[in-house]
Amino acid sequence: MRYASKKGAGIAFRTLTAEQIKEIHSASCRILNEVGVIVHHDEAAELLKKAGAYTDAGGRTYLSDALVEWAIRTAPSRVTIYNRLGAPAMFLEDSNAYFGTGSDTLMYIDPAGGERRPWNREDVAAAVRLVDNLPQLDFVMSMGLLSDVDKRMIYREQYALMLKNSVKPQVIIAEDRSTVDDIFAMAAAVAGGKEKLMHQPLFALYTEPTSPLQLPFESVDKLLAAAEYKIPVNFACGALAGASTPVTVAGTVAQANAEALCGLVIHQLKNPGAPFLYGYGDSPLDMRTMQAIYAVPHALLLQGSLCDLARFYALPSWGYAGCSSSKMCDEQAVIEATMFTLMGALQGCNLMHDVFYIESGYTGSVELLVLTNEVISRVRNMLQGVDTSPEYMAVEAVKRVGPGGNFLGDEHTARHFRETWQPDLSDFNSYDAWAAAGAKSMGQRAREKARQIMATHQPVPVSAEAEQEIERILRDAEKRLCV
Amino acid sequence: MSKYQELANAVIKGDTQQVKQITQQMLDAGEQPLAIINEGLIQGLNEVGIRFKEGEMFVPEMMMAAQAMKGGVELVKPLMAGTDMPTAGTVVIGTVKGDLHDIGKNLVIMMMESSGFNVVDLGVDVPVDKFIQAVKDHKPQVVGMSALLTTTMPVMKEVINALDKENLRSAVKVVIGGAPVSKEYADEIGADGYAGDAVVATEMCKQLLN
Ligand code: B12
Repeated sequence: MRYASKKGAGIAFRTLTAEQIKEIHSASCRILNEVGVIVHHDEAAELLKKAGAYTDAGGRTYLSDALVEWAIRTAPSRVTIYNRLGAPAMFLEDSNAYFGTGSDTLMYIDPAGGERRPWNREDVAAAVRLVDNLPQLDFVMSMGLLSDVDKRMIYREQYALMLKNSVKPQVIIAEDRSTVDDIFAMAAAVAGGKEKLMHQPLFALYTEPTSPLQLPFESVDKLLAAAEYKIPVNFACGALAGASTPVTVAGTVAQANAEALCGLVIHQLKNPGAPFLYGYGDSPLDMRTMQAIYAVPHALLLQGSLCDLARFYALPSWGYAGCSSSKMCDEQAVIEATMFTLMGALQGCNLMHDVFYIESGYTGSVELLVLTNEVISRVRNMLQGVDTSPEYMAVEAVKRVGPGGNFLGDEHTARHFRETWQPDLSDFNSYDAWAAAGAKSMGQRAREKARQIMATHQPVPVSAEAEQEIERILRDAEKRLCV
Repeated sequence: MSKYQELANAVIKGDTQQVKQITQQMLDAGEQPLAIINEGLIQGLNEVGIRFKEGEMFVPEMMMAAQAMKGGVELVKPLMAGTDMPTAGTVVIGTVKGDLHDIGKNLVIMMMESSGFNVVDLGVDVPVDKFIQAVKDHKPQVVGMSALLTTTMPVMKEVINALDKENLRSAVKVVIGGAPVSKEYADEIGADGYAGDAVVATEMCKQLLN
């Protein structure tokens, strides 16, 4: 797909000026030079030391600009992620925009009765099938935290469910390196072996620092595993502005950028040229309720800034879309999710996750997922921009029709009308036709659609051998972990 | 305006410099240390609490006020030898093993400290035996545990079991919190209290100790 924003002309939104980008880069470098980070991982600390980073007696490690800029140059500027059938599915480069769900919400809202309850395996499988079916969703994350499996098996079981119920690429969460190993093995079983998977990644891994400026052992361990296996990986600060980062947008960007760059340096030292996704997010701390709030204007500005920085660094970008702080899929949820989705696309964020999050990530709404599918469809149509070639300028058609005529009967209309955006759920009927069809709200139609797809959609199955192998990996892990 | 009122106002404004200045003036003028604390500094903080509840003030302002009060208390403290500093009690708190989320826990700590609790922070990723050791060392009235991950919630139960085993359970009140935790879960594992936010957490601890 071609996007106007990709060409830098047409519809595109830039948040920072060229000067501001450099100012932020400098501020982040100053943080790495003057404040330093704490690296809770011996191998990573050793890699940094060998590369010339300085660690003081108090255990803080300071990075030089030369090292940071080396890593930025070494990492690839484009990353391609493949689907389960081996076809390239997401080209993470320039301003291409891709969307997917979020992981690990605690509560599921059943689109049938509206009941709010913890997720079980059936729910996650059905929700993943829904993502598989929705044409505007490009990748899947685990969506729900499984309440019906042993806690030590959650991330592995989630991955097996994602693999089996969708062909789309995944972004994964894992608690530690051994989980990444098992997930990699499961993916290899469907992708045709580990070597091939290293060449054609089927999933990306989400890791993060603990802000401010700490690199916990498990995160770094996973980051190093990703470098080794060439799994595309981020090192994304989940900021709570006002608590874990400065309360201002610029301050949050400067610190989160420093943290991401520090992750990048370690990652590139481990395996120069391994694919890295640059990004982070902010759910500012609400100073009255003490909640982490999603999708507020601050968060959108932060994302615009990081997208501009990503293009400056020539790294693929990672961000958010389609999420909300609202407790239910209501007007607030739609306002917040839609603003984030539209802005993210205009900002040219490559990989946007958390579509379907409500209650700041504690609950997942398949209704919002279906609604956002429609929003993305509208947005993508807009991203194509305006074609001003002679055929589209249509002077010839205007001549043909002339003053007082009608374009409905003209060949130009017949040729191009299908290019205009077509609704899936939005209602364009007359009042009477709408009333005759049951006078349903958009929300009702979205819930019905979700239910219908979840009940009927059959994803392309994984092969019998792959399924056996996945089962074996799960049961082995269970034996190791759950004694 | 009385000097006490002036001092309380400076606390409300969160102006540490001014609080220190007025406190010093009052001490020099021979005011009673305990009165300075109770009728000036704490008065100010109580007013902040009321304004917070009414939605006029926000958490950062509350923090600044608590800091300002601390500045005053530090000047008064050395002169209070013999009389006990009023403290609401000692709390040992930490985020349980396997869990690194500490923003919520830290807010609880700040809020408790500004309400007069003496808080011992064990940090994040705290193993069971570290909680037990801290209870032995600090003899707190309250043990607080935070967990943000479903996978780490069971550690709370382990800590309670260990307290039982060491015959320490009846010596402390156990309170828990964190987003996936609930009142039901607290009951299920035999904790004494659950709170959904830092303000409620602090009030609950005060009630439990009464
Ligand atoms: C910030 C954040 C992080 C930061 C933490 C930084 C830090 N220093 O704490 C980072 C990026 C490190 C992180 C990592 C992970 N996170 Co996280 N994170 C969050 C996020 C966005 C906000 C949490 C927060 O700080 N909230 C604000 C504070 C103020 O609220 P609070 O913690 O609930 O605290 C209040 C009350 O609960 C109560 N309280 C808290 N503690 C206590 C204690 C007592 C005694 C009492 C009485 C009261 C009390 O008072 C507090 C103040 O009012 C949440 C999502 C969300 N919307 O909340 C996810 C979330 C908690 N994380 C989640 C996950 C899955 C992870 C990871 C596993 C992801 C990964 N890719 O690896 C890792 C795990 C790391 C680890 N081992 O702990 C899930 C948890 C799902 C679950 N229940 O299992 C959530 C819900 C997001 C999601 N849906 O996926 N995360």
